[in-house]
Amino acid sequence: MTGSTSRRTFTSYAVLLLALALVGGLYTALAPSSRAQEAPTADQSMLVKAGRDLYAVGCSTCHGLNLQGGAGGPSLIGVGSASVVFQVESGRMPLAAGAVQAQRKDPKYSIAQTDALAAYIQTQGGGPQLPTGSLTDGNLAEGGELFRLNCASCHNFAGAGGALSYGKYAPNLAPASARVIYAAMQSGPESMPRFGDGQLSVEEKKAITNYTRYVTSSAQPGGNDLGKAGPVPEGLAIWIVGIGALIAGTLWIGNRA
Amino acid sequence: MSTPDDPNLPRVDPTAADPTAGAQSTGGQQPSGPRGGQTAAESVQPIRERLRSPGGGAADSHGADTRGSDVRSGDFHQTDSRSVLTSHGRDERQLSGDSAPVPVAIDRQTDPFELSRQKSSERLVAALFLLSFVGTVGFVLTYFLVDHNFEASGYTLYTPLLGITMAAALGGIGAGAVVWAKNLMDDEESTQERYPFGSSPEDRAATGTAIKAGLAETQLPRRSLLRNTLLLSGGALAVLPLPLVLSFGPFQRKEQALAETGWITGARLIRKNGTPVNRDDLEVGGVESVFPDVPRGTKLADSAALLIRMRPDQLEILPGRATWSVDGYVCYSAICTHLGCPVKLYQQQTHNLLCPCHQSTFEADHGAEVAFGPAARPLPQLAISVDDEGYFFAQGDFKEPVGPSYWERK
Repeated sequence: MTGSTSRRTFTSYAVLLLALALVGGLYTALAPSSRAQEAPTADQSMLVKAGRDLYAVGCSTCHGLNLQGGAGGPSLIGVGSASVVFQVESGRMPLAAGAVQAQRKDPKYSIAQTDALAAYIQTQGGGPQLPTGSLTDGNLAEGGELFRLNCASCHNFAGAGGALSYGKYAPNLAPASARVIYAAMQSGPESMPRFGDGQLSVEEKKAITNYTRYVTSSAQPGGNDLGKAGPVPEGLAIWIVGIGALIAGTLWIGNRA
Repeated sequence: MSTPDDPNLPRVDPTAADPTAGAQSTGGQQPSGPRGGQTAAESVQPIRERLRSPGGGAADSHGADTRGSDVRSGDFHQTDSRSVLTSHGRDERQLSGDSAPVPVAIDRQTDPFELSRQKSSERLVAALFLLSFVGTVGFVLTYFLVDHNFEASGYTLYTPLLGITMAAALGGIGAGAVVWAKNLMDDEESTQERYPFGSSPEDRAATGTAIKAGLAETQLPRRSLLRNTLLLSGGALAVLPLPLVLSFGPFQRKEQALAETGWITGARLIRKNGTPVNRDDLEVGGVESVFPDVPRGTKLADSAALLIRMRPDQLEILPGRATWSVDGYVCYSAICTHLGCPVKLYQQQTHNLLCPCHQSTFEADHGAEVAFGPAARPLPQLAISVDDEGYFFAQGDFKEPVGPSYWERK
């Protein structure tokens, strides 16, 4: 009796697994492949052409008509599309004014325009690019460990940023999109070291990106995060506000009516 | 010490205990009648004088005259039967004992028995208790009804709401109790003598007997072998701390724990996860935290180093260090020579290594010499090579001690 029941259960599981495998295999075989492969060459060349037009209008004054650079800006040959994504999507380029470090602003170009510019720059000497697919599906725990090892020394353990020398700073990572975070690691803008694929694999960088988005956008259960600057402001708040309130309360209790 | 008839001493006025005398003055609002005032003053004032001058209250020799100038007007209002009775209590305590004078208790300056004030205090206490009730209800409602991701103006408020309602629940009762005690209860101060410390003579005698009996049970006088071996071991034990003390001074160990790290000749440079670093791994402008590939290598705090890659033409090679770097790869100790913070803030455009603690800045492209800040010495450089497979290994330990200076540093 029991034997036949368990055999029947086993058979039903096997049939279910088989059906699932069949459906999955059929889907893989028949479903449309990813967008990047799907994009025809004609679209790509249109994108590059659009990017070249945008570049000629918006960027060539400083970076030169042939990306050779000049007094106003460095050469862009070989910087790669990742660099464009970082600089343009975060609003750092076009530069507002010469300063010790480019600052984050409202972006001047849409995402589509940024992609066009990036595609154009990529054709001029290649360089680091963003990978295809989602950038935020990495392992969160691994990303946290890698973040603390590679990023936290400058950007703070919670991505709040920090000071560097001579007026430079590692920016707060909260406003940065996943693309911008990944592009920064990939291209190493300004003071930031570059983390190539040989050092941090694509999966590891996706994990870091995922963790950074998570840690900078997750809710603060305690209310105000005090700038996420760690134990110093928290200690100050406890000692001055908390202990101060305790002392005031003690004085009030001990005070005569 | 004194007789009740002594005019200089506090007098227990029998009329003070009379309820009519109290009733005369409980009105509180108006000054009491002459008789009531006198009663109160006579029962309170002399005590006070006597407390101030334990010798005998000579200051009170003028009786009512000094009283008029000395006693604050508020005291006249406290002449209901209750306060007079407690005054009796003081009297007796003072008269019965001859201990050191008790510090003067200054009565409240305001009138706690003023009716309207009593009323408002009572209402305040009740309001605080109600606040506590509301807090408890709010806490329970928050716990069950508020979503834990509830946000307002950018802040997640679930935990703060729990905290605020709990603070109201606990603090309401506490504050109410304090206000109650301060505004409504008597402020009479009382003193209780300490009991003498120490056990009773019986207990002490019993303990002594027990110890003697235990000693007899050990049979120590008879068993000389046990006694002698015990003496030997106890005497030897006295020598035990000697090496510990001496190691601070003349017999200090000579090993250079502070001068050596985990880096040994041929140790590969590995990452925190244990993988070795290849010469193809880093991009120009990249950095990597590296540790020696020795047992527990990634746990050795003094061995942490930073491998930096720059263009070979950007790296200035100091005299005597020509073979210490490989194709623009250079490796320095990651421990600040100032106070030992981790120096890993590499700025790839200027090749500056910044210490986050006190802003010591080292020039990674120039032997990690100090460009700015309180550090006095460059970061020690680790001489590295590559093997046939392209993996980095150390040529040996650092040539100088890493980290902050210390006395015996050479």
